[in-house]
Amino acid sequence: MKLSLSVVKQWTVAAAAICGLFAVTAPTARAITCEVTPREIPITLSYHGAKLTITGQTAPDDDLILKISSEPHDTAMKYYGKVGGLVWMKKGGLEFKGVPGVYLVNTTADLSLILSETERDQYQLGYDAMAKATKIEDNKGLPAERKWFDEFTRFKEKEMIYKIQQGTITRRHGEKGNTFEIVVNWPYQAPPGIYNIDLLAVNNGKVVDKTATTFEVKRVGVIAALSKMAVDQAALYGIMSVLIALAAGTAVGAIFKKGGGSH
Amino acid sequence: MYMYLPIALTSVNYLVVIGLGLSVGLLSGLFGVGGGFLMTPLLMMVGIPPTIAAATDANQIVAASASGTFAHWRLGNVDVKMGIYLLVGGFLGGAVGVQVIKLLRATGGADFLIKMTYVVMLGLVGSFMFVESIHAMRKKKVASAAPAAQAKTAAPEKKRNGFFASLPLQVYFEKSGVTHSALVPLFLGTFVGVLAAIMGVGGGFLMVPVMVYMLRMPMHVVVGTSLFQILFTCVEVTFLQAYSNRTVDFFLALLLLFGSVFGAQIGTVLGKKLHGDQLKILLAILVLAVTVKIVLELVLEPSLLLAYAGGH
Repeated sequence: MKLSLSVVKQWTVAAAAICGLFAVTAPTARAITCEVTPREIPITLSYHGAKLTITGQTAPDDDLILKISSEPHDTAMKYYGKVGGLVWMKKGGLEFKGVPGVYLVNTTADLSLILSETERDQYQLGYDAMAKATKIEDNKGLPAERKWFDEFTRFKEKEMIYKIQQGTITRRHGEKGNTFEIVVNWPYQAPPGIYNIDLLAVNNGKVVDKTATTFEVKRVGVIAALSKMAVDQAALYGIMSVLIALAAGTAVGAIFKKGGGSH
Repeated sequence: MYMYLPIALTSVNYLVVIGLGLSVGLLSGLFGVGGGFLMTPLLMMVGIPPTIAAATDANQIVAASASGTFAHWRLGNVDVKMGIYLLVGGFLGGAVGVQVIKLLRATGGADFLIKMTYVVMLGLVGSFMFVESIHAMRKKKVASAAPAAQAKTAAPEKKRNGFFASLPLQVYFEKSGVTHSALVPLFLGTFVGVLAAIMGVGGGFLMVPVMVYMLRMPMHVVVGTSLFQILFTCVEVTFLQAYSNRTVDFFLALLLLFGSVFGAQIGTVLGKKLHGDQLKILLAILVLAVTVKIVLELVLEPSLLLAYAGGH
């Protein structure tokens, strides 16, 4: 009996340890989910951006960070500087290595308060974290100053394709469980392509759970046909552009014929 | 109200773009300029990338100048012979100018030279036209008061014609009522072509004063002939930009030309109601205003210190 009690205790401890281990290593236990509607944004002739609704389930006491971004790539820019101490001119080029074309972050609270610096750096959350990971080179391949990264984010923010908004995710605790919802105004300036949505649940300054999904912004109809023609049949596209302009010009000229006269 | 542009990859309020086309088309019909030096910065202000703005502008100028040329043709204001000489010179000059700018870009500092050429040329042309037009208007008043004074003022013009008359290959241009050596319009066309290629513009605002002051053509024939020449230049530019750079946005061009073809017709009708000197003064004011704008852009710190590579 003594022996069997000790075996039971050992099994209990082992079972508790295994459960504890699962609690730490298996984030699916928190069952974070993320759904995006629509999954495809069509670019039509009257397209002027769209509304993206992102919803899902989350643990009740976790904060949330939602990052929408495109795949990182190198971006070539020109920078302005003073020439001869008097005039502002484009002085040279800068290459920003591995930066996303679009970077939109939404959170339930202040990013710097809910997530440690180490974790922000690891998951590329916030401009400081991005700046640390981004190499900026000038024309000669030499590293450029950090101030140019700040200028870069300012430039992208003005284009509406970089934005960090804190406290914008709404959470609800009700019969349907712990849900969240955010409506993102998708900027029309964002080019067509596939975009990543990363949803992170954070607690005590650390990422405790995460999930990801994607959506596509796609040209359709006449927009798709014309874009394809401009690339695949450039000569025909050029001739068509010229002929239609000539026809429009002369047609309107003919309409105004009655208004003519001689000097 | 909004239309998505497939090549510019942006959405614009089409009423704003049609309005821009109408305004610049009006100036085109009025003064015989393509309006590229006005339209490109205006398009950039509504969010069109610089390379797309410049290329698409050339496409809409095809429509506006076709409309304007047609209107002026009916009025008998197009000197085709002179236009062809200037056009041949312009093509030659354009080719030389492109090579010059390539060389300058390789050595660095090309942007500085382009901007400075722009400011100096616009400033000189605008100031000269302004002063000369005021002077001419005063002369007219004096001449109408004392007809004898007219004989005195005709003397220096004869002298100028005497210099041109000494050159070989003399040709009479019936429409303009002037005789020049064929070399003169060829050389002037080349000169404007070189400058236009360096500055990245069509050259209408340079060609108009050249025709008025160097070729001594009547102002109304100058406008029609300038539009005729611009039409052919922009046909070539549109095709090359679409074929080589894929930077012509067809929908943007459609919106612009919808406005500009009507604007060009209105401009032509308005132009008929104004005297040549009045037209010159208005163009001079416009050119000087653009000069001031460029100078301010150069001197004041830009709100953004970065721009995408590939633009002007």
